[in-house]
Amino acid sequence: MEYIMEGFKEAFKLLLSFDSEVYGIFLLTLYVTLMSTVISTIIAVPLGIMIGLKKFKMKKALIRLLYTLMSMPPVIAGLIVYLILSRRGPLGELQLLFTPAAMIIAQVTLVTPIITGIVYNSTRDRGESIRQLAHTMGANKKQAFALLIFELRADLLGAIVSGFGRAISEVGAVMLVGGNIKGHTRVMTTSIAMLQSMGDYSQAIAIGIVLLLISFGVNSILYHSQQVN
Amino acid sequence: MKITVNNLRKTYDGKQVLSVDSLEVKKGCITGIIGPNGSGKSTLMRLISGIEKADSGTVAFEDKKASEETWKGITLVFQKPYLINTTVYENIAYPLKLRGAGKDEISRRVETMLELLELGSIRHRNARTLSGGEGQKAALARAMVFEPQLLLLDEPTANIDPKSIYIMEKAIRHINEKVGATVLLVTHNVRQLKRLCSYGIFMNNGSVEIQGAVGSLFEDLDNTPMGSFISEEFII
Ligand SMILES: Nc1ncnc2c1ncn2[C@@H]1O[C@H](COP(=O)(O)OP(=O)(O)O)[C@@H](O)[C@H]1O
Ligand SMILES: [Mg+2]
Repeated sequence: MEYIMEGFKEAFKLLLSFDSEVYGIFLLTLYVTLMSTVISTIIAVPLGIMIGLKKFKMKKALIRLLYTLMSMPPVIAGLIVYLILSRRGPLGELQLLFTPAAMIIAQVTLVTPIITGIVYNSTRDRGESIRQLAHTMGANKKQAFALLIFELRADLLGAIVSGFGRAISEVGAVMLVGGNIKGHTRVMTTSIAMLQSMGDYSQAIAIGIVLLLISFGVNSILYHSQQVN
Repeated sequence: MKITVNNLRKTYDGKQVLSVDSLEVKKGCITGIIGPNGSGKSTLMRLISGIEKADSGTVAFEDKKASEETWKGITLVFQKPYLINTTVYENIAYPLKLRGAGKDEISRRVETMLELLELGSIRHRNARTLSGGEGQKAALARAMVFEPQLLLLDEPTANIDPKSIYIMEKAIRHINEKVGATVLLVTHNVRQLKRLCSYGIFMNNGSVEIQGAVGSLFEDLDNTPMGSFISEEFII
């Protein structure tokens, strides 16, 4: 019991001393996660809307694949990106392995299906009536798309926040492709995993507290976005 | 705006639900469509409004094929209208904003509609919280506010109270008489047809069985589908 209390005390000291290594980890985590969320959003929102509205061959198969990818274990995403980026892989020449860019790619692989799936679901449920309303009001294509985004705004925010939450909390993918290199690719989850194995609980607890606070903030946004509906 | 329909067919899941050889809706009049449930009334309205495509056949407005420009002057109010997740006022202002109307014009026109449909007291309410009747009135106001040349209404007064029906019929007459809009409305109510419409269409099994002046629908009722439709209508 004692060492846990001791750990918390040390953790707060560390946070209040603005330890540059710890804060460097926070900043890198936010950078990687925000970048991957933004890139995933740019791909996933139009994609989810398109799948929700359009009829095309193999749509059912595509949706089943999408649902499978939504629950893809992070290590699998990490492994795939690792194989593609590794020296003998198809994109090995880019030498991205063990860089923040590789971590962003791995998280985009993980998060894009999640956002796409959620956006697809709400578009399937409400997209067609919104499109029909836009038509009866005399909207052009651009205006119809704007109405769709406006009407699905709470769902879209929820999808993006879920994606962010998934990205910031996973360890497996970023560990595989980032390698947890100190000062270069070490993020919050990978350092907690490492510190725990080394028995350095105070720093692990300090980072854990901040990660929990971020999760809390993210879930508050999610909760409020659901209230809007 | 005159509507001319020719050889219009629509099939859902291999079942033909609409087959209209020839139909004409007169410009500047209120025309009512009646017929049993499932006779294809809503399908016909959707095809005319252009939100759905027919399998074959044509719909022409003033003898011209519909285009981006024609759609801007045509609107449809659904049996269950979709209201935007914002205030009643903003819902009614929406088609004006799409057309780039100025602030003053928007406010003037929306106020006129709020008054005509007696929605003034709920102007700031979120449209999603409205009752069925309030929602129908808001949707009608939104469809009328930009003064369309053709107003399509699918059972606009189904399941709403008499006071709201009275207000909506008054508004429909207003846009027809004062703005000159052609109105095509589906109703399940024979009395409403007689009150409101000068022309009538009777649909049965996906086709138009009678079209003409309203009075002509009520001739020769013995042993006809229209006759049995009416006798069933008066049981309720
Ligand atoms: N989207 C659809 N998919 C399958 N069947 C439909 C669809 N819309 C209408 N139908 C069928 O077409 C027929 C005509 O429907 P509808 O036009 O709604 O009739 P009405 O409005 O006269 O009650 C009905 O049998 C209905 O079940
Ligand atoms: Mg109907």
